[in-house]
Amino acid sequence: MNQATLTPAARADTLVSAYERAGYARSSAAMLQPAEPFLDLSGEEIRRRMYLVTDSAGRELCLRPDLTIPVARDYLDSSAAGQPAKFCYLGPVFRDGESASGEFLQAGIESFGRADKAAADAETIALALEATAHYGLATPEIRLGDVALFAALIAALDLAPAWQRRLIKDFNRKTTLAHDLDRLAPGIGATVPEYQGVLAALANSDPVAAHALITDLLSIAGISTVGGRSVGEIADRFLEQAALGARTTLPRETRALIERFLAIASAPDKAATALRALAADANLSFGPALDLFENRNQILAACGIDLARIQFATAFGRGLDYYTGVVFELYDPAHRTAGQLVAGGRYDGLLTRLGCAEPVPAVGFAVWIERLAALGEAP
Amino acid sequence: MSALVIAVPAKGRLQENAEGFFARAGLKLVKPRGTRDYRGAVAHVGGVEVAYLSAAEITQQLAQGAVHFGVTGEDLVREMIADADAKVVLLEGLGFGHANVVVAVPQAWIDVRSMADLDDVASAYHHKRERRMRVATKYINLTRGFFAAHGIVDYRIVESTGATEGAPAAGTAELIVDITTTGTTLAANALKVIEDGVILRSQANLVAARGAVWDDEALTTARLVLDRIAAAMRARTFREVRTRFAGCDDKLLAAAREKFGVATPFGGPTSSGMLTLLCPPERVHELAIFLREEGAETVMVASPEYVFARDNPLYEALVARLED
Repeated sequence: MNQATLTPAARADTLVSAYERAGYARSSAAMLQPAEPFLDLSGEEIRRRMYLVTDSAGRELCLRPDLTIPVARDYLDSSAAGQPAKFCYLGPVFRDGESASGEFLQAGIESFGRADKAAADAETIALALEATAHYGLATPEIRLGDVALFAALIAALDLAPAWQRRLIKDFNRKTTLAHDLDRLAPGIGATVPEYQGVLAALANSDPVAAHALITDLLSIAGISTVGGRSVGEIADRFLEQAALGARTTLPRETRALIERFLAIASAPDKAATALRALAADANLSFGPALDLFENRNQILAACGIDLARIQFATAFGRGLDYYTGVVFELYDPAHRTAGQLVAGGRYDGLLTRLGCAEPVPAVGFAVWIERLAALGEAP
Repeated sequence: MSALVIAVPAKGRLQENAEGFFARAGLKLVKPRGTRDYRGAVAHVGGVEVAYLSAAEITQQLAQGAVHFGVTGEDLVREMIADADAKVVLLEGLGFGHANVVVAVPQAWIDVRSMADLDDVASAYHHKRERRMRVATKYINLTRGFFAAHGIVDYRIVESTGATEGAPAAGTAELIVDITTTGTTLAANALKVIEDGVILRSQANLVAARGAVWDDEALTTARLVLDRIAAAMRARTFREVRTRFAGCDDKLLAAAREKFGVATPFGGPTSSGMLTLLCPPERVHELAIFLREEGAETVMVASPEYVFARDNPLYEALVARLED
């Protein structure tokens, strides 16, 4: 059958049927979803693109802006929760401003609970490539990243906890990350804390005594503790600032190391070599993150994917902070459409955040059906 | 149907201030059908209808182009109208209804002084508790834009339409974004404003709706109304200084312009030596001293009610933006 003559929905359906034959159960998640999980997982930025309604009980509902969270929620509600399970989907999603009608079709897969992460990642990428191939694009541009590598680097560096948190968070916002590095270099910010004297005095004191002092000071000052942070937490971070004040500059070599890391952009096998060299030069370890990366590369190659075609970059992220490992996007090399055609990655923290007691590995992708269908129509 | 509809706040101090503002421009708002009527007119100026509405309604109607002009706070304009500058024109700040939209956190957070601190605390909170810090506010869009500009992502907005400052104590949010004028309500609720946490310094504005029907009649009436407003506003920025003395020449006038920022609306002294100057209010006394040192016997100062000039800056600003 000539796929190009089918209606867009029917053509997408044959793609998802192929995923079903590969062992992915077809999911039929509800259109109307509670808004909370989307806002909690994607942040407030997604709110302005969501179609929100309030029901008579005052609960905030939305038209699903993607299918990953609905499929994950259905999985957690099912008897298979926590067990390995694979799902595929096809259906409309709703985002204000992303298409003229606010509605567009997405297909995709989600793979939950597989402990062999490298193999699951590689299988996911291979199935993503099938999506573009289904629409006649056998060799899309492949952009690949792995946010676990950056997390491993930051963990391996001797950085204050505040800066670790900040750099991890800002990894997804590249301009902010550069700003962070600039700030780390000359010192922590330009402003001098009001309590600098106290902070300096506390910097080298016994942590337990210092902690007790701060707690006492707060109560003596009659400052009632409102808001969801405990006095202990406030005192901890106050003292953390004291520690930062004592060591405000990032060693030049540490910054150079981060920049050297972020500059690695090549085919993934070459990148692995560069990362090994960096680890050896700096005498640090990426731990299991780099092993997983190399393992995944080997499996991708074994699947017949030419690694030389993959544009890997350590700095590549997808701008969403729920990704924890591999991230990828597929593009039209001829740039007939601006956006990504397929995008996905690994998000091992997602199911815990949705209420699952045990961590469950998860990886998947979404396909922009109309964008792929439009490739055939473009002149 | 009147050519031009002006929306004015329907109650409280905002209404009084708005009416005062129009009255100073010689535009006395009247309610021909009694004080409880929500439609009014302008005494002795035809073709204008006054709609008395709540500030939120005024903002909505401006966005929809259902009224031509409205008096409302910039905070509401920025919050309620997506892409506000495409929909409305903020013609002029009116000098009342001042309020700052600020980010406020519990005073007990002695470790949080800047937005950068808040960013760090928000990330740590999220990391530790598996949920995001909650921000109580009615300014959802302003909050989102401001937090995004500061790179803060680890937060959730909890919509609050009243008594927002009580939310942290009530345990429904960790911090708030709200308006404050003096900060006393915040302090009474054990909250403090973050140093670089002022999102907007708002005041009441004269706002024009780009989407309203701007036909010839509406434009003609708008030109008239704005001419009076501009003249009255310009008058408030000057005092009229009059004097008469022999030693007054171009050189002296140049010195006065240079030193005190005076304007000479009618040029140099008349043939009889009368001189009229417009001087910024805060420089009047210095100018009076200067003129007497130069030989003036008497210097008279008065507040002009209007200063009409050839140009009509408010109208020109309106037309320029309507044509964009």
